[in-house]
Amino acid sequence: MATTQPIKKKKIKVPQVVNGVPTEVEIEVDDVAGPTWGANDKHRLLNTRIPRSDGPAKTTGTAIYTFDVRLPDMQYGRFVVSKHARANIKSIDTSAAEKIPGVTAVVPFAKSVRYEGEPIVAIAAKTREAANDAVRAVVVEYEPQPFVVVAEDSMKPGAPQIFPPSNRRQVQGNADEVAAAFKDCDAVIDVEYRTKIMHHACLETHGVVVDYRGGDTATVYASTQGTFTVPGDASKAMGLKQSDVTCIVQHMGGGFGSKFGMGIAGLWGCKLSKQLGVPVKMMLTRRDEFLTGGNGPGSIQKMKAGATKDGTLVACHSIIHGLAGVGRANIAGQPYQYKATTFFREQTPVNTNEDASVAMRAPGFPQASFAIESLMDELAEKIGMDPVQFRIKNVTNESHKRQLLRGAEAIGWANRPAKAGSTPGHLKRGFGCGIGAWGGGGGPKCIVNLVIGRDGTVTAESGSQDLGTGTRTYVRAIVAEELGLGMNDVLEKIGSSKFGDANASGGSTTAASLAPAVKDAAFNARVALAKLVAPLLGAQPDAVTFENGKVLGNGKSLDWKQACMTVPAAGLSVQGQWQPGLSGNGAHGASFAEVEVDVETGHIRVVKMCHVQDGGLILNRLATESQINGGMIQSLGMALFEERVMDRRLGVMLNPNFGEYKLPGCLEMPELIPIIDDGDTREAVIGIAEPANIPGVGAVANAVYNACGVRVRDLPITPDKILNGLYPAKA
Amino acid sequence: MQAFEWANAKTAADAVRLLGPGAAADYDETFRPIGGGQDLHTTLKAYIHRPARVVNLKTIPDAGKITVDGNSLILGATATLTEIETHPEVIRQAPGLAESIHSVATPQIRNFGTIGGNLCQRPRCWYFRLEEVKCLKRGGDTCYAKEGENKYLAAFGTDAPCVITKPSDPAQVLVALNAVVNVLGPKGERQINAGEFFRMPTTDDPRRENVLAADEIITSIRVPLGQLAAKSTYLKFKERESLDFAMASVAAAVDADGALTVRSARVVLGGVAPVPWALPAVDAFLAGETLDEATIARAAEMAIEGAKPLSQTRYKLPLVRTLVQRSLTKLARSILET
Amino acid sequence: MQSNGEPKPQGPITGVSRRSFLKSVGATALAADALATTAAPAADAPAAAAADPDGIVRGETSIQLTINGQARTVTVEPRTTLLSALRDRLEPALTGPKLVCDAGTCGACTVILDGKTAYACSLLAIDLPGRQITTVEGLGTPDKLSPVQAAFCEKDAMMCGFCTSGFVTSVTSLLRANPDPTPEQIREGCKGNFCRCGTFPHIFAAATAAAETIKKTGVKA
Repeated sequence: MATTQPIKKKKIKVPQVVNGVPTEVEIEVDDVAGPTWGANDKHRLLNTRIPRSDGPAKTTGTAIYTFDVRLPDMQYGRFVVSKHARANIKSIDTSAAEKIPGVTAVVPFAKSVRYEGEPIVAIAAKTREAANDAVRAVVVEYEPQPFVVVAEDSMKPGAPQIFPPSNRRQVQGNADEVAAAFKDCDAVIDVEYRTKIMHHACLETHGVVVDYRGGDTATVYASTQGTFTVPGDASKAMGLKQSDVTCIVQHMGGGFGSKFGMGIAGLWGCKLSKQLGVPVKMMLTRRDEFLTGGNGPGSIQKMKAGATKDGTLVACHSIIHGLAGVGRANIAGQPYQYKATTFFREQTPVNTNEDASVAMRAPGFPQASFAIESLMDELAEKIGMDPVQFRIKNVTNESHKRQLLRGAEAIGWANRPAKAGSTPGHLKRGFGCGIGAWGGGGGPKCIVNLVIGRDGTVTAESGSQDLGTGTRTYVRAIVAEELGLGMNDVLEKIGSSKFGDANASGGSTTAASLAPAVKDAAFNARVALAKLVAPLLGAQPDAVTFENGKVLGNGKSLDWKQACMTVPAAGLSVQGQWQPGLSGNGAHGASFAEVEVDVETGHIRVVKMCHVQDGGLILNRLATESQINGGMIQSLGMALFEERVMDRRLGVMLNPNFGEYKLPGCLEMPELIPIIDDGDTREAVIGIAEPANIPGVGAVANAVYNACGVRVRDLPITPDKILNGLYPAKA
Repeated sequence: MQAFEWANAKTAADAVRLLGPGAAADYDETFRPIGGGQDLHTTLKAYIHRPARVVNLKTIPDAGKITVDGNSLILGATATLTEIETHPEVIRQAPGLAESIHSVATPQIRNFGTIGGNLCQRPRCWYFRLEEVKCLKRGGDTCYAKEGENKYLAAFGTDAPCVITKPSDPAQVLVALNAVVNVLGPKGERQINAGEFFRMPTTDDPRRENVLAADEIITSIRVPLGQLAAKSTYLKFKERESLDFAMASVAAAVDADGALTVRSARVVLGGVAPVPWALPAVDAFLAGETLDEATIARAAEMAIEGAKPLSQTRYKLPLVRTLVQRSLTKLARSILET
Repeated sequence: MQSNGEPKPQGPITGVSRRSFLKSVGATALAADALATTAAPAADAPAAAAADPDGIVRGETSIQLTINGQARTVTVEPRTTLLSALRDRLEPALTGPKLVCDAGTCGACTVILDGKTAYACSLLAIDLPGRQITTVEGLGTPDKLSPVQAAFCEKDAMMCGFCTSGFVTSVTSLLRANPDPTPEQIREGCKGNFCRCGTFPHIFAAATAAAETIKKTGVKA
């Protein structure tokens, strides 16, 4: 038996994402030379503008999402949900519901509820209409319990306790040092910033279609951010082997951090399908989506910070509350991306009888960014320094300096009024900026199987899911580029738990985890095919090259199909895995906004926004620009419109619909300038979806202040707040 | 949405007859007429209306006809908002009406929403729209909005037991232009001045927003044409431009000579009260005045004099002042140009 | 601590007479089942309706809709929305129009009805026999994209794609009525459609590009 040389190992840090929230872990990997990307400006397909491969399916309505799956004999599931914020369930009378023709299952399962909208009874029926009728026919007798749905109320002494008391307070820094440092400050700001609980508002609600008609196997079509987060729980719910449950995620109508695992809709989809022996579609209604589909945490951030005249941030004291419903919420630590000579931060979540907060696009970061960027602006004004210069003086990362200058030029920072509210007339212009950073690194999880058929077909398979970020497209592009083929010569197959393992899409880690595995597979395929083809060309395998659909070597060439005749009948099958050298970590960006405020109506029009974003090797510039635009637009929504509104006496959400939970639309769109920071020359893939969503909210808020002189510290910045600021109540 | 039966009305009288058997039911369970259904869909899905029968008015011949008859514009009740706002005579002779309709919702809704349905649409108060809450308007005994989340609600007429705002946009213009709502019921036709068609919530009956009986339908709306209509305008302020109801709006119409001496004027506020909020004192003040900057400023101040804002609607006062000032200024310019 | 404003204990369905509610639902659904098992072919539907002197339709009934130029038979209740008829009842289904807000506020279900855009979630199927209904599937296919669909692909005017069907439909309708829209008219024409991923600027660019293609080639939008 031949002895093998032990492979050298090295330790690296990679992100580990739990329910969308990334942390870092150290892992050991082989220290071997693998494939490399090469210079960012030398790619044939990558780093160019590639139309997405699923565009034709999506634009013609033929892309099948989970919500679109309709199977023979399929029934419709729904939940009866709690109408009380907190209650014990005394009794549930299902008899009337069961008598409705077409209703096949009415299954009570909850004994108590902790928020309005918490599911109590699962229902299935042969038609959507009958399912809806059954929901209303179930009689639930509640025993209401004391509740609290507003953070301020929850923080009062004697407020109803949602959880047993526990010490969840986290403290960092030195409060005494900070207190001492304030003495040396030329300017001190002591204020409170608030951001509201928001909703992911995915257009496709949470849910599944479960196809289990008895027997040993089942299929779960799921609207999820993690194909492989479903089969484990689904198999338990149906009493099947995990390997006998297939999860399918072909197309997915938005997640933004809210869709890990199969959720309660998935659980009951499985149970009902098993009980009835027919496929069951269990998609949340829009209202249930608002009430029980998760939300993004709000925050209350009490900040006291000081600076010296030379523009040094000397002290930053923050007491931060994440508003978490019945969940957890972490807001990024202050002073976030800035360095303060001294700092202290204390973080305590505040719970209310509302659905649990979950990860939402850069969890806890836009909230922290809004507060610190507002604060930086307030300090800059007080010491009489330009806000961009003040930031450059205090950033922790050099790339932010480059990005701030680039963004300032793009937005026309020179036109910024030096004094807030000083534009003549009633339409006041203003400018603002902010910076953000995120990890976006990759980790070892993804397996990509690549098969080259004897007929020349190339198929790359991974179980990974495409949330709309363009996964399908870059899988295809990486393979096509490596093998010298065109985009249409490669087929990607994704979104099935029968394909290669893949991480869930959280923390902007998908591209940085999957793309290296695709590259590795494509590289291995190229090497393997070169070996097979080399004898035909009379060339050494490592001298064989792949270009324009041809395989070249020794001055000869074969076209692709000819070359593929050399592969075995079953095809040339290779595998790829994540390679540490192919992904990077650390994405940085800067946002700028120009707004116009009508000081006679309080109307805010965002005129222009730009966002400068680095991200190492950009896989697809077109999709990256889409992502950056999306980040700016979601920032705009957070800054100006979005808020979950609760009634503190009734304990109910007042705006659980798209008419009243306001997303920005066509007429709210500014001119948007997405700028890819090519000053970043790292030859590594880094996720950028979340970082693009972070600094825009502070940029808009600062621009509004600069325009009209009203500093709104409580999001969203709506016309009533502007008017109340401009026309204070008479004493 | 609760199950219902469907009837296509052959004539207006037929519609009234088909609605008749439901008229005695609880208000929320009366049979409902449907035009474009753009609001009815929302109230059916929220179980606000639970009719056992829905009667289609669009099958009535000519029910949606738009005609100019002498000095009047006649809008059939099922004329769609798109048809009205793009009608050349409406644009020419009653620009304020066209503007108000153009400001409604989205193209999709205007393409099928009808003028009759628009006038009869139900309020958007959050508490009213939630079945669990059972507010005063849904047979309960409390208006939760008064002491609750009321930012989008009334700033005028808040002594009423319910503090909704009327969601219609053209309603303000129709009141300003002295339009008449033609109604057919089992006892025959009646003509109702637009200003009297809408009703304030009362303690006795806080649930209805207009004077229609359950077996009455709007057949048409007659809009007097002339100087007032020709110089009319509608300004609507929305929190979200793309799709929203008015935070405040104003319909203004001025009949003045070339020197801006006002013969008569109407200013009606929207989005600030349970009904289109006419301002007779402002109208009276403007009559005989010259519509210059000072007069307009005074009228704008007068417009908010009777306001009684709720805890979260004080901001609507400066907003109303601005809208009145801008609408009258716009009309003054327009008069000078002609 | 008991909240002051807690609504008084009440039945689960507030303000409804429980008995009358169950009676009407039960009766309708019963009729529905009876009809479903003996589903009458479309041609017989008017005959069934004629049985009632007022032509009143109760429970499930078979109707004929004209969808993407084809006569399609579908069994609906009076309360079945056009969107539900397309997605849940039509065989085979048309799932291009999406169910998102179910309230006429997002545009994901936009279809073209007699040349004008409409929210399929806010129309009753029973109201629509004789009308020309066009869904996104009727505009083009993956192998033969319409100019608007092609422009959406080229400009990357989609991300998750759940709003895309509605936007493609709205832009198509806009360009059919106004082949040379200004940027403001494009926004106004699409303002009834909402996207969460944030594709708006690319959608506007696609609309402009499609208008240019149509002008150059003369192909129908």
